[in-house]
Amino acid sequence: MATNASVAHDHHDDHDNHTPPFFKRWFYSTNHKDIGLLYIFFSIFAAIIGGGLSGLIRWELYEPGLQLFVEGSMLDSLGIFQGKHGYNAVVTAHALIMVFFVVMPATVGGFGNYFVPLMIGAPDMAFPRLNNISFWLLVAGFVLLVISLFVPGGVGASDKGFGGGWTVYPPLSNAQYHPGPSLDLAIFALHVAGASSILGAINFITTIFNMRAPGMTLHRMPLFAWALLVTAFLLLISLPVLAGAITMLLTDRNFGTSFFIPAGGGDPVMYQHLFWFFGHPEVYIMILPGFGIVSHIVSTFSKKPVFGYLAMAYAMVAIGVVGFVVWAHHMYTVGMGFNLRAYFVMATMIIAVPTGVKIFSWIATMWGGSIDFKVPMLWAIGFIFLFTVGGVTGVVLANNAIDTSLHDTYYVVAHFHYVLSLGAVFSIFAAFFYWFEKMFGVKFNELLGQIQFWIMFIGVNVIFFPQHFLGLQGMPRRYIDYPEGFAYWNKVSTIGYLITIVGVGVFFILLIEAAIRRRKAEANPWGEGATTLEWTLSSPPPYHQFSQLPVIKDDGHH
Amino acid sequence: MGIRRLTMAGVRAGKAGIGAILASLSAWFVGAGMAFAEEVAGLPTDKAIHLQKSVSELKDDAIFFHDWILLPIITAIVVLVLGLLIWIVLRYNKRTNPTPARFSHNTTIEILWTVVPVLILVYIAFFSFSLMRKYENMPDPDVVVKATGYQWYWAYDFPELGVEGIESRLLPEARELESARAANVPFLLGVDNELIVPVNSVVQVQVTAYDVIHAFALPAFGVKIDAVPGRLNNLWFKARETGIFYGQCSELCGIDHAYMPIAIRVVTQKEFDDYIIAAGGKTRAQIAQEAAAAKLAEQQAAAEAAAAADTAEAAGASAVATDAATAASDAPAAATDGGSASAAAAAQ
Amino acid sequence: MAQHGVNHDYHIINPSPWPLLASIATVVLFLGAVIWMKGLFGQEGPLVFILGLAGVLAVMYFWWSDVIRESKAGDHTPVVQLGLRYGSIMFIASEVMFFVAWFWIFFEGALFWEHRAGAASAIEEVRLAWSAWPPAGIETVSAWQLPLVNTLLLLLSGTTVTWAHHAILKNDRSGAKLALAITLVLAVSFTAVQAYEYHHIFHHHYFFNEAAANSGLYASAFLLATGFHGFHVIVGTIFLAVCLIRLFNGDFTPQKHFGFESAAWYWHFVDVVWLFLFAFIYVVFV
Ligand code: HEA
Ligand code: HEA
Ligand code: CUA
Ligand SMILES: [Cu+2]
Repeated sequence: MATNASVAHDHHDDHDNHTPPFFKRWFYSTNHKDIGLLYIFFSIFAAIIGGGLSGLIRWELYEPGLQLFVEGSMLDSLGIFQGKHGYNAVVTAHALIMVFFVVMPATVGGFGNYFVPLMIGAPDMAFPRLNNISFWLLVAGFVLLVISLFVPGGVGASDKGFGGGWTVYPPLSNAQYHPGPSLDLAIFALHVAGASSILGAINFITTIFNMRAPGMTLHRMPLFAWALLVTAFLLLISLPVLAGAITMLLTDRNFGTSFFIPAGGGDPVMYQHLFWFFGHPEVYIMILPGFGIVSHIVSTFSKKPVFGYLAMAYAMVAIGVVGFVVWAHHMYTVGMGFNLRAYFVMATMIIAVPTGVKIFSWIATMWGGSIDFKVPMLWAIGFIFLFTVGGVTGVVLANNAIDTSLHDTYYVVAHFHYVLSLGAVFSIFAAFFYWFEKMFGVKFNELLGQIQFWIMFIGVNVIFFPQHFLGLQGMPRRYIDYPEGFAYWNKVSTIGYLITIVGVGVFFILLIEAAIRRRKAEANPWGEGATTLEWTLSSPPPYHQFSQLPVIKDDGHH
Repeated sequence: MGIRRLTMAGVRAGKAGIGAILASLSAWFVGAGMAFAEEVAGLPTDKAIHLQKSVSELKDDAIFFHDWILLPIITAIVVLVLGLLIWIVLRYNKRTNPTPARFSHNTTIEILWTVVPVLILVYIAFFSFSLMRKYENMPDPDVVVKATGYQWYWAYDFPELGVEGIESRLLPEARELESARAANVPFLLGVDNELIVPVNSVVQVQVTAYDVIHAFALPAFGVKIDAVPGRLNNLWFKARETGIFYGQCSELCGIDHAYMPIAIRVVTQKEFDDYIIAAGGKTRAQIAQEAAAAKLAEQQAAAEAAAAADTAEAAGASAVATDAATAASDAPAAATDGGSASAAAAAQ
Repeated sequence: MAQHGVNHDYHIINPSPWPLLASIATVVLFLGAVIWMKGLFGQEGPLVFILGLAGVLAVMYFWWSDVIRESKAGDHTPVVQLGLRYGSIMFIASEVMFFVAWFWIFFEGALFWEHRAGAASAIEEVRLAWSAWPPAGIETVSAWQLPLVNTLLLLLSGTTVTWAHHAILKNDRSGAKLALAITLVLAVSFTAVQAYEYHHIFHHHYFFNEAAANSGLYASAFLLATGFHGFHVIVGTIFLAVCLIRLFNGDFTPQKHFGFESAAWYWHFVDVVWLFLFAFIYVVFV
């Protein structure tokens, strides 16, 4: 085929290695690496907003009494997030942005897009144009969500935005209690972001099944690709159920159905089942890519192959499968029958076993290694430790008998920030620095990276560790104000936030420094430990890589 | 069950020693917030790092489960992982260990770190399920309360005692920090009408909501259940101390979610009875008495009737007449039953 | 198609404006939907929605025209076609999960209708609930009249697409056209019958009567589950219609006709969903 193709050559100009002009390249892109970068920049942008919103939360909670969401405050004079409804709208937006527009775009859209094709030896994703619409639909969803913050939502005239939490439980989300168009826009935003993710998932599954280089069997495939494969299946199966649930909500709000309206025989608890059938797999969607990333980093910097490769891959599959049958652990207090709750306790706890296999296998990978504690490795080790902390508090919550005391308290907030803000986000930073040179073609400053790590490590722990204490003492979540008995640890938590944003500041200094200095990157800065295919290419890789497909012979590649 | 008792007894004995250390520690943690100490037992304590103080057996067990089963296990796991990581950092950095090992498999250890967690989880599950069962198996309740969540206050009924519609709202002065301090009421917790229940009695709370979902939570008793419109959920507790115990609505319910506390005043049985009577209801004892009296009266009436029937032996007419009357009054009922049944059939 | 120094058969696609335009149209579409439903920024009415919809449909047209053009240019090598197969199957899988949500809520209603009132045991609850479903005031649609006709229409159409497929495989183009045309007639009849039935339901107040005031869940689940199925039928019909047009334009060879195949798969999926709807909503839980 290669020989007689010159006839069509002119028409297919862009297949060669010169990149298209600026506008075409970034707006019409069909190149997985460019789309990956778009996702990553988008994620950083959204993280500034989501992180800023969490600043408003911590500011308000600095001490008892209303500081920010009150008449005459700074926000009030700006005319955004006014009053107590404003607080709820901020918490909701913080969560939705962090989950759908920061973590998922970074891990799946960004690193997944950029590195899965490289790692499996494919020239691009299976459906490049579809890949691009996944990205632009995400932007569309974000635009809708942001607009939703500035249009009427609650019952009061100045209640802009939706203030019912990221879980959007009815009846609070029914038309009676949130009559404004805000929630309708937010629902559409989720529809659009969900469609983006479903299309992305189809693309990943097809790419991984259909485009592995010769010799790259599934059992030789790098663990990051495995992680994305499992993640893609979770997205594909769970998101349509969420779409169904929020569509029911939409018709309840606008077209007179009564799926979740008790007066019409509907059942608000049914919404919770549908939501968490999506919501629990969603939390693994956010963490599995991190698992994959950490495996690579740990192996690279220890200069050892991953310990127990097959067990690592199938542990992720197990987590994915079991993750579908544990959803009601979020609903222990809704009044389910005893047997049902007992089942969900057991099923939930079982997930600790494959997760433990991963934690211990990472440790065994490092064991006996010759470890270089570069920035990505610091984030990876931080991830392993902090994820363990967040994971074991998950096991505590899995026990209905104690969740009765802890449900909807700050203990839960502490749990999920340990696995998200200290788990998923740490894995994002680990990946970002691991692949920094590969993606941008320049080096970052190691010292700044180390400083950022330590400041953020301390900062986020100071934010979230005390929240366990608040939860144990019974502080409910989604509270704009709290009794004096919760004052001390809330103050500590807010101080932790201040430390954290100093770390975030160092991160941006690092980016600017790297952009100004433009130290030329190496193809493989990490040496012999880095064995996956992306390190065989230049940094950044050619616009279209693997025009000659690589052939994988042995299984030394994980 | 037996094993559990033994373990618990053992651990409780051990608890005495460790407890002393913990107590001195928490003396340091427990600082302010004791302004209402003379009356109050259930309130969050500033700087505290543990579960709120218990005044019920369920909460005792929950604290036992958390402090003596879960917490040690998860602490041990975290310490193990941290210890291994520190060891790796010290022993396997590129200076102390220039040449990396090449191994990537070890079946024994892989089996070990799969099986040991399973065993740990089974151990946890054992306590977990027995405590769940304890929550589930409510003894016969002495008092039944119906709690209904509204945006944004609670309403309580004692359906059996004929006391209904007690609305419990946050005190206006408890909304603001300054005014709460000035009035010496607990900020965000003080309410106008507390829920009053007797001490040492099994109280069943039937929880529902009128508008959106709320949740009825009371840390000192270790209970929490959602108040869902259209459903009736149940919880129970048995407080062993008198005093006021505070909880807060624990499901996001709109702008004043943080402003609908739950305050339960636990009083002696006598005080409770007085309260119920003052509120226009009847105490259980009264109801029982009345029921007994009514029954007695009925029996007496029956006996008298029988005696009368005996005397009016000759005709027996009255008895026949009553029978006929009963039959007649039954007939229309049957007719309506049949009617609605056929109507339903038609509808199908 | 493979290029200079390129030794693989994957399809490297040129930059394309459609994704960006599609998402702009999507934003307009959904803003328009909210404007239409609720009013927003002082706007009202369906205009913005219609504009957005037109935009989305236009982009779909141009996008898929590009796909067809690329296919004809030989870009769809066997490995690319295999990828398209994976893609279609995964898409249908996600659609299946979408219907799971609607069935789930229907079953929840049918099995646990009285659950909330409390009963002696779980089994007893289900038995009670089942006997109490459909709830008071609801008049159900008899399965053995129009729904049965519809079932037969769909089953028949399933066989006629298969006929069309075999005809294409045998390069019997007129047979394929005939079979596909019959399929389309059956598909459109299905939609017509369904529309008539909805009309009947509304006209005779099967669900929307005073006695059923508290039984909205039944009507909601019934109408939205069958309604979304109906929507998928229409999409499948358009998909098949496009295939018919392509047949008349001389597309599809015995070796290469994946566009048709995926339309057929989609049609079978729609068919199977209907069988479940028929079995559970019309026959079992009435
Ligand atoms: C990345 C996201 C993420 C991850 C990975 C997890 C992981 C887990 N989560 Fe978490 N969770 C959330 C995000 C996440 N969660 C969020 C966002 C919420 C709140 C949503 C909301 O309400 O808004 C939540 C809430 C939540 C609840 C509901 C609490 C409540 O509302 O009352 C529960 C209860 O069971 C739970 C349990 C678990 C468990 C058992 C795990 C397990 O997967 C953890 C497994 C890991 C380990 C256990 C550590 C490593 C293992 C070992 C070292 C081996 C040895 C260990 C043992 C033997 C125990 N989570
Ligand atoms: C991924 C998810 C995520 C992340 C990262 C965070 C991060 C933070 N969150 Fe959030 N949070 C949630 C998810 C998340 N949160 C959810 C789901 C809820 C529940 C909402 C609800 O109840 O409905 C919640 C609720 C919540 C509350 C409870 C509010 C309440 O109940 O009233 C609080 C309070 O302190 C809080 C604080 C913070 C803080 C201080 C951070 C800080 O850690 C933020 C500091 C970090 C940054 C500013 C930068 C982060 C950087 C990145 C994310 C990566 C950048 C990308 C690349 C490098 C490519 N969050
Ligand atoms: Cu009522 Cu929260
Ligand atoms: Cu979960």
